[in-house]
Amino acid sequence: MEEKKNKNINNPIRRKEFLQMCGSVIAGGTVLAAGAKLATKTKVKESDVFWQIDPARCTQCGRCETDCVLPVSAVKCIHANRVCGYCDLCGGYYRSNVKELNTAAENMMCPTGAIERKFIEDPYFEYTINEDLCTGCGKCVKGCTSFGNGSLYLQIKQDICVNCNECQIAQVCVSDAISRVDYATAYKLKE
Amino acid sequence: MKRFFATILTATAAIGAKAQNRFPKPDFESGYEYPDLQYAVPNELMWDVLDVVLLLALLISAAWAITRRRKPMIWISLISVLYFGFFREGCVCSVGSIQNIVLAMVDETYHLPWVVLCFFLLPIIFAFLFGRVFCAGVCPMGALQELVNVKNGRISKPITMVLGLLPWLYLALTILYAATRSRFIVCQFDPFIGIFRLGGDIELLAFGILLLIISVFTGRPFCRFLCPYGALLSLFSSVAVKRIKITDKKCINCDLCYSSCPVDAIQPPYANTPQEERKEGVKRILGYALLMPLLIVAGAMLMRMSSDVMSRAHKEVRLYDLVTAYEAEENPEIIPLEVEAFYMRGRTMEELQASAEKAQADYRLYSTWIGAMMGLVLAIALIRFSVKRRRETYEIDQAACVACGQCFSYCPQNKVGDSKN
Repeated sequence: MEEKKNKNINNPIRRKEFLQMCGSVIAGGTVLAAGAKLATKTKVKESDVFWQIDPARCTQCGRCETDCVLPVSAVKCIHANRVCGYCDLCGGYYRSNVKELNTAAENMMCPTGAIERKFIEDPYFEYTINEDLCTGCGKCVKGCTSFGNGSLYLQIKQDICVNCNECQIAQVCVSDAISRVDYATAYKLKE
Repeated sequence: MKRFFATILTATAAIGAKAQNRFPKPDFESGYEYPDLQYAVPNELMWDVLDVVLLLALLISAAWAITRRRKPMIWISLISVLYFGFFREGCVCSVGSIQNIVLAMVDETYHLPWVVLCFFLLPIIFAFLFGRVFCAGVCPMGALQELVNVKNGRISKPITMVLGLLPWLYLALTILYAATRSRFIVCQFDPFIGIFRLGGDIELLAFGILLLIISVFTGRPFCRFLCPYGALLSLFSSVAVKRIKITDKKCINCDLCYSSCPVDAIQPPYANTPQEERKEGVKRILGYALLMPLLIVAGAMLMRMSSDVMSRAHKEVRLYDLVTAYEAEENPEIIPLEVEAFYMRGRTMEELQASAEKAQADYRLYSTWIGAMMGLVLAIALIRFSVKRRRETYEIDQAACVACGQCFSYCPQNKVGDSKN
């Protein structure tokens, strides 16, 4: 301080340089300290980086379809064949109280026709989801969960999901069903 | 009545959870076998490593290009826009990484991905060493605006100063909303993400296109007047170790660099001549310095008062408001989805109230700090604006300079050297 007072009081350039040096030291120190502090918070493996829906909590409100940042939601319906009853009158395939059980559009639960049905043997039918058509609206899931075994359920497809910092549909999910999961449980499958 | 409705809902929910096997497993006689379905999990690690390696490579080449070369910067911008922008669809980005860092600071359970840490720290380290080389062309958003920039329309100094406070406000709100786990506003309101993903929210897409149209006529409106990460980088670049210079040779005061600068970061020597007595200036700066604590306290108070309004961004607070509004209604006809789900989950009102109040308390604490920060920023901006120091030559304002390299290629002194070599 003394030296500065004596010599450099009339020399603004030197004062500027001195202030700059102080700033550099503070900034450098901050970078080092923050880097070291934050490095302790990272985890390379087994960290919860994926978003996934817990089917036990999901209430099929339909927001997955509309709130995902992608043009077509990364949420798709998944079918657990081992849980399915292979019913002819499927609550996920037909709308409730339809007059005739045929594949006319007004009788179908799925608005995009993404559920494909194949006859296996009397009286069983196999249902398959065409993922390219599925928009994740959850209408079939609601039907299946209310009237059937709950073999249709919604999951976030990890190959489509862009893994946002904060999942947009987790924000609007009414039942808090979406949370971060690790690699091993990237899908919460029903068996 | 409502209680009754709630119990019915919980009862049906319980049945729904138990009655998983309303229909027995079929016994197939035709030898049918269950299809084996596989669900892919992409190899994130590969992309993570590639992202960080490319970020580092681009930063190093930008730091090299800043020494008087403009052409490589265009290539760096192109690679960044194509890879980080269109191919990786704008994620992961340094601007958004602020939020992850804040979250990691306040939330013990949150594990910061190492890629995000790299994306946060590397540009800051480079800004500290060489200036804002990240902004120059490595950031896909800056690069996109730079590539469409044709004219350098100049905005008047006071307007630039006022608009220049916006990034700080944006940074403050970003920190507030991330620290309270409400939302990641940088990601949510990113104007360029719709362009990179070729679709998205129509309003944001329109805003992004508007910003691009503006950036044809004046340099980088997003970087200068919105980007919160740019505000953070300017802190480090203003004390950079290796400062960006227009030319190594003697400045001939030709004004070419000044008219070429897209972000108005070059200060001409004539514009800053003090029009008043030195004493007057010193008095005013002292006045602003005295005003500083007042501004800090005012900012903190203002933000604290508005914290209750802002806390509605938090999910629990919103849910609490919805449920209380629903229960206060005389004859509720429609039950909101959130309220229905709340009853179905069997959470108690006390529990919800406690968590909503905790969120509000968090909001009060953080918004006080953030208000104080805004007061400080405003005070420093006032002081900076009134500091008059005589300049002999054209100088770069290190904080505002985005290291695009335009001025180097326009400086005739640099051209002289080139032709001799």
